[in-house]
Amino acid sequence: MTEYAKPIKRRKINSDAAWGYAFIAAALLIFVMFTAYPVVSALIISFQEYKPLGSKFIGFDNYTETFKDSLFWKAAVNTIIYTLLTVPVSLFLSFAVSVLILPFKKRMQTAFKAVYYLPAVASGVALSVVWLWIYDPMPEGIFNKITAFFGMGTHNWLGSSTYAMFSLVLMAWLSSHGTSIIIYLAALLGIDGSYYEAAELDGANFFQKLWYIVVPCLKPTTLFLLVTGVIGSFQVFQNAYLMTGGGPDNATTMVGLLIFNNAFKYFEFGKAAAQSLILAAIIAGISVIQFKFLGKDVEY
Amino acid sequence: MKKKMRVLATVFALSMALTTLSACGSKDDAKSSNADDPNAKDTITALLPPVSANFQSNFDQMAKDFNAKYPNLTLKIEPASWEDMTQKLDTQVNAGSPPDIAFIGSDGISKYVDSGMVMDISDTVTDEMIKDYDPAPLEYMKNGKGLYGFPAYMEAHAIGGNKEFMEKAGIDYKKVQKEGWTFDEFREAIKKGVVSENGKTSRYGFVFATAGVTSKDYLGILVKSAGMPAAFNKDLKYAYTSKNFLEVLKDIRVMIEDGSMPKELSSIDAGKRWNMFLTGQTMITGKGLAGFERSAKLNNEKLQNKDASAVKGSIPVDYVVLPVPAFAGAQAQASVAVDGYVTFRGTKEPTAAHKANVVKAANFLSSGANAATTNNELFVAQITESSRKAAESMTVDRDADNKAAVEAMLKTAVPARPDIPTDLGAKAIKLEDEVIVPKLQALIAGEITPEKMYDAVKSAAVQAFGDDGVVKD
Repeated sequence: MTEYAKPIKRRKINSDAAWGYAFIAAALLIFVMFTAYPVVSALIISFQEYKPLGSKFIGFDNYTETFKDSLFWKAAVNTIIYTLLTVPVSLFLSFAVSVLILPFKKRMQTAFKAVYYLPAVASGVALSVVWLWIYDPMPEGIFNKITAFFGMGTHNWLGSSTYAMFSLVLMAWLSSHGTSIIIYLAALLGIDGSYYEAAELDGANFFQKLWYIVVPCLKPTTLFLLVTGVIGSFQVFQNAYLMTGGGPDNATTMVGLLIFNNAFKYFEFGKAAAQSLILAAIIAGISVIQFKFLGKDVEY
Repeated sequence: MKKKMRVLATVFALSMALTTLSACGSKDDAKSSNADDPNAKDTITALLPPVSANFQSNFDQMAKDFNAKYPNLTLKIEPASWEDMTQKLDTQVNAGSPPDIAFIGSDGISKYVDSGMVMDISDTVTDEMIKDYDPAPLEYMKNGKGLYGFPAYMEAHAIGGNKEFMEKAGIDYKKVQKEGWTFDEFREAIKKGVVSENGKTSRYGFVFATAGVTSKDYLGILVKSAGMPAAFNKDLKYAYTSKNFLEVLKDIRVMIEDGSMPKELSSIDAGKRWNMFLTGQTMITGKGLAGFERSAKLNNEKLQNKDASAVKGSIPVDYVVLPVPAFAGAQAQASVAVDGYVTFRGTKEPTAAHKANVVKAANFLSSGANAATTNNELFVAQITESSRKAAESMTVDRDADNKAAVEAMLKTAVPARPDIPTDLGAKAIKLEDEVIVPKLQALIAGEITPEKMYDAVKSAAVQAFGDDGVVKD
């Protein structure tokens, strides 16, 4: 019995699918070029003593050096302290402002959203210059005038270990809530009005409605903002770089600043890459924990 | 139709890929001279910051003059601001395609030597070129046996005083300019400059910028006049473990405790202290560069013309150049900054012809009329014979006493140390950034004692260089 070769069944691609593949290819290429390739490169470089004219493979030396480096651990502790002090307060402030804006008419809401979003549009460097001016250490400095008025004396805000970290934290508290406010407000507008009506019929007051309706309904939003806020906070660099340079006595040296210094000040790209990957692992670990404990009953 | 669409989609996807990938291609080949023919056409690229006020506006003329001198060569200048100069250069260096020439401080050379991306031109420079430069600044462009460019100027790091306030305080500044002073004399002088009322100080004796990285300058300038001209002594032992280092730290604290310097000193940056100087809040300021005389004069003119752009609250100031005092009984030595045109190479070995062309361009920029114009604008001394000659026909409105004081300081300039190996130099820089500067900030803020800082530096130095690798006195 003769067996004839069966013709290979070719999957037909219609014109719509072809266009789909073309657009996916473009997005995929951009992802590969600008995200996947740098990450893989960083992984390779982290095992090397990097030199433009020929790098040397040194195994896990960059990782062991980092783990032995007391400055890395000091920077990690500083970063954790900064995150713990800034993220929850920022979330609370954004939530409170959003709740306060909600009762206004749409035009007013938009005006407030624009005002709160303005700092995000302004250059971070320009903002830092303004804050440097506010934190002028001399008695005529704005912040010193305020504290002196309330009998708290004048302080060397960015130049002393006692106040430097607090000064950076205060700066974070008083700026850059715009994005969180817009997201919270969008989520607040998405809560069905019938919940409030039912609660009112049951005689619930403002805080009861807030606690039993708003907070649970906004849990997915809060989780999202918490996770992204912690990630952003762990990567903080600009504030420390521009305001204190990591000082005094490394009191405000964050991991991001340390990585930058190793890479661009000392050209130790291998060590910087290793520290970046360690930081990425720490962030991933914290994000997993956050999802595990806070994301149990969150549905998207 | 379907076939057409498939072809179209594939072509589209491929073109996207090729466009993106083509961006990664090297542009090195385009600028390099193809053959070793010295007369072949070639382009030399230079990354230059605004070295002086009119420097960048002269770029077209400089390129034209260069092309007129060497018709086969084109000088392509890329301007950069001081703020992004280092970042721009570092990015290009690490991508393996730096410019042929970049204007940087000579202290940055060792970093690039270590990466292998600077070009040693010692085998290409001619005797005629070398003879044109003063030997002291030229040494700063060396590392080991290599020469990595040409110096543009050598500027003394001094301090600057307000003439009127110093006269009122009874300080013979002309004598100080000529003979220098000891720390004790300086301490007494700055005490006299303080003006206080009801416990509130309206004028300090001395304010030096120490916020952030400027504290590195502060200590660096002082230790050079305390018998430690470099981080390593001649036997390549780390010097900042010397007892003199501790003496300098004690003196830094004592000036604050005397009330001659503000207790908030650790947050005062370069802009703030210059503002304090122009507004009469300090008698002496640091660091002082020669160009500050020009800045003060400009502000004086604005005040006279009631120009609104004059510094707010400023007063007319006659700027006096002063030397840094000598510490711990040592001989005062002037800390200097030598900046220049450093020569770079790409990942591909440059041809001999291209190398020679880069040398011609660096020499052209750092000597003759170009250097004369720029250095005159900066009020700094000419360091080449050709620029001195070119400067003869140029007039500079500069105080004669200040000029003489700077020249006297340059005679005691700290010599270059090309003998310090790059790995030792790199370790010293890291120790400075990670231990000395942070501890110094804490010392200035009054959070640690001089002894505690000295112990921390000593322990870090022993860890980095070994017990035998540090000075013990």
